[in-house]
Amino acid sequence: MKPDGKVVLLGDMNVGKTSLLHRYTERRFQDTISTVGGAFYLKQWGPYNISIWDTAGREQFHGLGSMYCRGAAAVILTYDVNNLQSLIELEDRFLALTDTASTDCIFAIVGNKVDLTNEYALLLETEEENRSEKLVTSCISTKVQKQVHLDDAVALYKKILKYKMLDEKDVPAAEKMCFETSAKTGYKVDYLFETIFDMVVPIILRQQAEGPLQTVDLTNCKSAKRTKSGCCA
Amino acid sequence: MSLKAFKLVPAVEREMLMGDKARINVECIECCGKNLYIGTNECFVYHFLLEEKISSAGKITFAATKQLHKYLGFKKAVSELKAASALNRLLVLCDNTITLVNMMNLEPIPTGARIKGAVTFTLNENPMSGDPFCVEVCIISVKRRTIQMFMVYEDRVQIVKEVSTPEQPCAVAVDGHYLCLALTTQYIILNYNTGISQDLFPYCSDEKRPIVKRIGRQEFLLAGPGGLGMFATVDGISQRAPVHWSENVIGAALCFPYVVALDSEFITVHSMLDQQLKQTLPFKEGHILQDFEGKVIVATNKGVYILVPLPLERQIQDLLTSHRVEEALVLAKAARRNIPKEKFQVMYKRILQQAGFIHFAQLQFLEAKELFRSGQLDVRELISLYPFLLPTSSSFIRSHPPLHEYADLNQLTQGDQEKMTKCKRFLMSYLNEVRSTEVANGYKEDIDTALLKLYAEANHESLLDLLVSENFCLLTDSAAWLEKHKKYFALGLLYHYNGQDAAALQLWVKIVNGDVQDSTRSDLYEYIVDFLTFCSDQELVWKYAEWVLQKSEEVGVQIFTKRPLEDQIFTKRPLEDQGKNSFNPDNVMNCLNKYPKSLVKYLEYLVLDRKIKKEKYHTHLAVLYLEAVLQLKSVTTDNCAELTETQTKLRSLLQKSDFYRIHLILDKIKGTDLHMERAILYGKLEEHDKALHILVHELKDFSAAEDYCIWSSESKDLPYRQRLFHMLLLVYLNPGSSDCELVMAAVDLLNNHAAEFDAARVLQLVPDSWSVQLLSPFLTRAMRESIHTKRMTQITLGLAKAENLIYKHDKVKLKGSPIILSDKKLCQVCQSPFCEPAFVRYPNGGMVHTHCAAKRLMNPNMTNHSQT
Repeated sequence: MKPDGKVVLLGDMNVGKTSLLHRYTERRFQDTISTVGGAFYLKQWGPYNISIWDTAGREQFHGLGSMYCRGAAAVILTYDVNNLQSLIELEDRFLALTDTASTDCIFAIVGNKVDLTNEYALLLETEEENRSEKLVTSCISTKVQKQVHLDDAVALYKKILKYKMLDEKDVPAAEKMCFETSAKTGYKVDYLFETIFDMVVPIILRQQAEGPLQTVDLTNCKSAKRTKSGCCA
Repeated sequence: MSLKAFKLVPAVEREMLMGDKARINVECIECCGKNLYIGTNECFVYHFLLEEKISSAGKITFAATKQLHKYLGFKKAVSELKAASALNRLLVLCDNTITLVNMMNLEPIPTGARIKGAVTFTLNENPMSGDPFCVEVCIISVKRRTIQMFMVYEDRVQIVKEVSTPEQPCAVAVDGHYLCLALTTQYIILNYNTGISQDLFPYCSDEKRPIVKRIGRQEFLLAGPGGLGMFATVDGISQRAPVHWSENVIGAALCFPYVVALDSEFITVHSMLDQQLKQTLPFKEGHILQDFEGKVIVATNKGVYILVPLPLERQIQDLLTSHRVEEALVLAKAARRNIPKEKFQVMYKRILQQAGFIHFAQLQFLEAKELFRSGQLDVRELISLYPFLLPTSSSFIRSHPPLHEYADLNQLTQGDQEKMTKCKRFLMSYLNEVRSTEVANGYKEDIDTALLKLYAEANHESLLDLLVSENFCLLTDSAAWLEKHKKYFALGLLYHYNGQDAAALQLWVKIVNGDVQDSTRSDLYEYIVDFLTFCSDQELVWKYAEWVLQKSEEVGVQIFTKRPLEDQIFTKRPLEDQGKNSFNPDNVMNCLNKYPKSLVKYLEYLVLDRKIKKEKYHTHLAVLYLEAVLQLKSVTTDNCAELTETQTKLRSLLQKSDFYRIHLILDKIKGTDLHMERAILYGKLEEHDKALHILVHELKDFSAAEDYCIWSSESKDLPYRQRLFHMLLLVYLNPGSSDCELVMAAVDLLNNHAAEFDAARVLQLVPDSWSVQLLSPFLTRAMRESIHTKRMTQITLGLAKAENLIYKHDKVKLKGSPIILSDKKLCQVCQSPFCEPAFVRYPNGGMVHTHCAAKRLMNPNMTNHSQT
């Protein structure tokens, strides 16, 4: 089965990419081991199959990133809200990998592990919608000062737009594309993925309408050439 | 997590290859059909025929027979061999030259066609030329950073393309126009037709030997960093997650759905489906691993071995045996492409069912249910796990080989009652879900009977729902089970459903009588009454009528009174019909004679509800009421509620009914103190004077007397009513008595009911001694009435005159002005003159011939014409 669109999770090691995906697909949190190479998961979203690639954050596998990103419809850049370096790495190391992504690729910046911060309880209170998932509140014990704030992520998002030479008017607003999540408690994880999927659908439609864009359907090209050569012979 | 996916079988032993020459090493191999070629370090090519043998135990062995060997005449090792079977050529790379030799006798071809300057080469398995007698060969040239493409025919070669690469290539694979290259620092995809290249990922070829392997249409397997086997398509993207093999992989091969990798110690087998390591085979000193048309061959310097894949079915069964359901299902799904469709469907269903049972045994019912559903499990397989649930008559035999390892639920739960209950609850919900679906077709009896048994055992309320709705429960089996669990009421329902109402009733009556115990329904007696009421078996109803009435006269009689009307026969049906139906009132009353309360209820039903106009019933009911009243009067002195009630009923009947025998009742009543009733009876006989006499003189109940006048004259005309009131007035004014009380009554009567009297006649009757004052209300009203009547009459007269005047006016208008008819006037229809004096004139003044008018009447189409 060929996926219709691709979403790639990028980010430094140990920020929780695998856990985010695991929380979304398996509905639970589980200690994961460091991802080797990469893994992927197929998600049925309406009539479309969206493949979600979980990449390895380790430096060793860094070279694989641009291949994974090739033709991606969305890239989820993940950092750890308690680790400023992980946000810096996104710009320094990971942004360049997205050069191979689809030209209309959307970017999301996700700060994970928000449950470990002292702001988490406050976040829960201001959470308006009544979440179906039961949030594990037992883990709110050792609180630390959050190192990375949403403003920093917004700033990075704007830098990305500059890097991609995109106009802010043509892309989703920064506030919409910067998320803070907790894979451990499930906080805003569904919201994150579902927002992304909804945004990916129009891109899929555009890609399918425009035909060969980034992903060239070679089966078609080839058969055409064959008949031609057959003619000449 | 080990699975046996492959078995290592020796193919060419070292003795066959080198005998006692210890220095000979295997350098390269090629396998094409049954032909196995081996190139050695001493520049020899060996040709073997490989025969596969399957022993009776299913064990596969290979026997290689050496055909010949050939020395190529160099001092160099044979570095690569590739067969082109369509050309009957073997391509041999030795000393940087590719020579073409005959596949069978290994002789060089006479033309001596060869490709010089090749470091390594590969064949395009997805060639673009379309010529079946030509193979496309791609070489890494000895020239720096150069790749060359050749067309190789039976006896000639032709260079078609030369491309240069950004770095020195060290390994190559081809698919169509695409080259997948391992360069010094990275892998790339290069389209040799367009020259467009795409970077895949960096890789250091100095540290590790790169691997580039075409694994299928437009897809390659590459050795990546960190011991990864990376998949990449010609588009430069990855469609499968990488497999994680060891750091020092020497070779890789593909045998769907497995990726096989070789390092210095082991052969590892990873699944492409879930990327998991499935099998590890120790294998030392291996240096070649390649797949040839699905055959995976591995070689050391000294020997050649074949990795024989175990049948997928067997692998799946192994996984299931070790309860690795998910892996088994993934593998089964993947097996679809390797197994013929029909065979696959049968196999896959079976696997789903087996997987379902594995989940079931772990009490994971949701998963189990889904698998049973998708595997279209014969539900009886599941039912048969539960002891005694399948009916004894069921022809079901478990499938062979068995879908699971359990004899029954006891073994599965190991006697754990809690687990047992959970399993039973699951089966209940499952059967309930499937019983109305097509899954149940063919064995609805087995399913419903099993469900009934489960419900009965668990004391589940749905048992009754099951039995009262459409079901296929087998009678004998179910009956025995219900009896065993003392579900007698339910058993009755079962009998009823199977048309055995007699047995059902017998059982229920036993429960009510306390002969057997079943507390399902506390209102079972009422239920039986209801049942009999709607029971069409008349004999049965009569059989239990007595029992029902004995239990409760008031409730029991419902079997007659609430019976659907079509079952009851009154008078208008033909006689033969009555013979068929025994619920006519006479039969019923015969039966009810012993039960007075029931009889009264029944008669009330006939007389009051059904409004049967038969003297017999009315009289009977009146007599019964009367007797009851008299009986009550004799035992009680003060007015008890029951007496009042019965008396009210009696009076109401006497007043309202016109059918009872008045004289008979009157005879019975004479001599009792039922004066009011007597008065009513006299009233019915139109003997109003007697009635009024009783009311006035005996009862001295003046308001009753007035009421009497009113109800007796109901639905009669005014003079009749006036006659009654006058009669009453006369009784009051009877000259015989000068009772002051009566005089007062007379005055009140006149004053209160002025309208019911003819004032003129009253004035004649009233004694002269009465003052005007006394009768003033009467007189005022009488006067008003009289004046009102006069005025009303005047109005009527005036209106009649006015009406008359209107008619007169119309008449005069119609006579109106004269119409002059001359021969100059034309008929409006035919436009011809009038020849006769007769004509027709329309209200609008138009004149036409009589015959034209008649025609026009006949043919309304002419209307338009006549109007113009």
